[in-house]
Amino acid sequence: MRRVGPGATASLFAGAVFAGCVLAAGAALAQGKPPDPMAVGRQLLAEDNPGELWVQRGENLYREKRGPREASLEACDFGLGPGTLEGAFTHLPRYFADTGKVEDLESRLLKCMVELQGFDRAAIIQTRFSNLDRASDMEALATYVASRSNGMKMDVRLDHPREREMYKAGEYLFFRRTGPTDFACITCHGDEGKRIRLQDLPNMTDRRQMQAVIAGWPAYRGTHSTVRTMQHRLYDCNWQMRLPDLGFASDVSIALTTYLNYQGNGAVIRVPGVRR
Amino acid sequence: MGIRMTAWVVLGMPLIAAPGCMSFPDAPATRSLGEKMVAESYPGMPDSLTRRAVQDKAQSICSKVGKEKLTQEEAAEVVRLSRESMKYPAAGKLAGDWQAGARLAYAGQGGRVVGGKVETAKENGALCSNCHALDPGEVNVGNIGPSLIGYGAARGSSEEVARLTYERIYNAWAYAPCSNMPRLGANGHLTPEQITQVVAYLIDPQSPVNRK
Repeated sequence: MRRVGPGATASLFAGAVFAGCVLAAGAALAQGKPPDPMAVGRQLLAEDNPGELWVQRGENLYREKRGPREASLEACDFGLGPGTLEGAFTHLPRYFADTGKVEDLESRLLKCMVELQGFDRAAIIQTRFSNLDRASDMEALATYVASRSNGMKMDVRLDHPREREMYKAGEYLFFRRTGPTDFACITCHGDEGKRIRLQDLPNMTDRRQMQAVIAGWPAYRGTHSTVRTMQHRLYDCNWQMRLPDLGFASDVSIALTTYLNYQGNGAVIRVPGVRR
Repeated sequence: MGIRMTAWVVLGMPLIAAPGCMSFPDAPATRSLGEKMVAESYPGMPDSLTRRAVQDKAQSICSKVGKEKLTQEEAAEVVRLSRESMKYPAAGKLAGDWQAGARLAYAGQGGRVVGGKVETAKENGALCSNCHALDPGEVNVGNIGPSLIGYGAARGSSEEVARLTYERIYNAWAYAPCSNMPRLGANGHLTPEQITQVVAYLIDPQSPVNRK
């Protein structure tokens, strides 16, 4: 049976915090302050980040011998050699000679879970995102591996021609308008001080705001009561744009992540972040 | 020393070549790679949905990368395509029931996809409050678009104002080519009848939008 313990505990906690933050929002508005009703809740969460539970669970999953091949993930190469996690996330996405592809954190985990542990690729993709009934190993593992770069700076390099192509494709896609809403990423993330309803939107053409974003994914999302990864963030934006389900570890997702992480270079990683 | 020097020269090469690399790949190569990625990144989805990720001509023109500006010719082409797309309600009347419009203006549901299926909603919401202030009493509104508080009070509710408002909702790009505003009618998100209701919510003197 899969464990759902951390999710359930965190869910209760987050519920209490967010109820409190709705009240705080009312007070802020009454005083005529700029409406950022989630700021209080975010700060409370950041001080006692429930996402830490996912780091621990991810480490257990990483070390445990699992899957049909009864292997751990300790031989997985995230770019700095098998088993080297410290700093690996700061250079992702990057080109991997063994697959001949540019891969991000989650696509690399997917590859290792299939090839080292013998898990079924489709089954992992099926459970890539947790829900209230079921935890996701992928979310915990990504959080753990990324957290091993905490305190280090994001440093995506684009030395390899395939990385350069991925970056340029990501930039193209960031500005590409499509779907029934005519949205591109830039539609909501290209200006200062913008909101969808009361939700603040980072201006992703500003390096410092981009760094603030990149520093904190994977993130504990209060409204989801779980940790989400960048793959989920992009899937979720696609959903809101009325596009079809964005494929997990798809090239569109990796290209956008390459573009965004490169724009966020220099960000000091603090994973898991805390988001609405 | 000799070996170290050689290593430096070899390792240094990519760095020296880097500025030349900045233009690699060029725009046409990037576009075709990006479009290929889009075609392959929605696996297992029915054609009716993957079609949503294919750009129409106006969207393609409106997807300038970085700070690149729309040319006058391109803007004129987007306006022409948008004028061509314009359709009106069968009943002819462009301002409908403002109370129905009030419900639509704050509704954000409809058209989203989960697990390859479009969500089941009685009707699509008009999405207005995601980006616009409307009723001054409602604070849960976005600011990507301009505030529409007092829209009708400032413009009146004549036939002309109703037509302009209708067209700007049906296809905003006929007036502001490539603006952030979705082409809600032309894209099929709203029906012409729904748009007449939103028009009424914006211009009717009784609507909270125009309350003194």
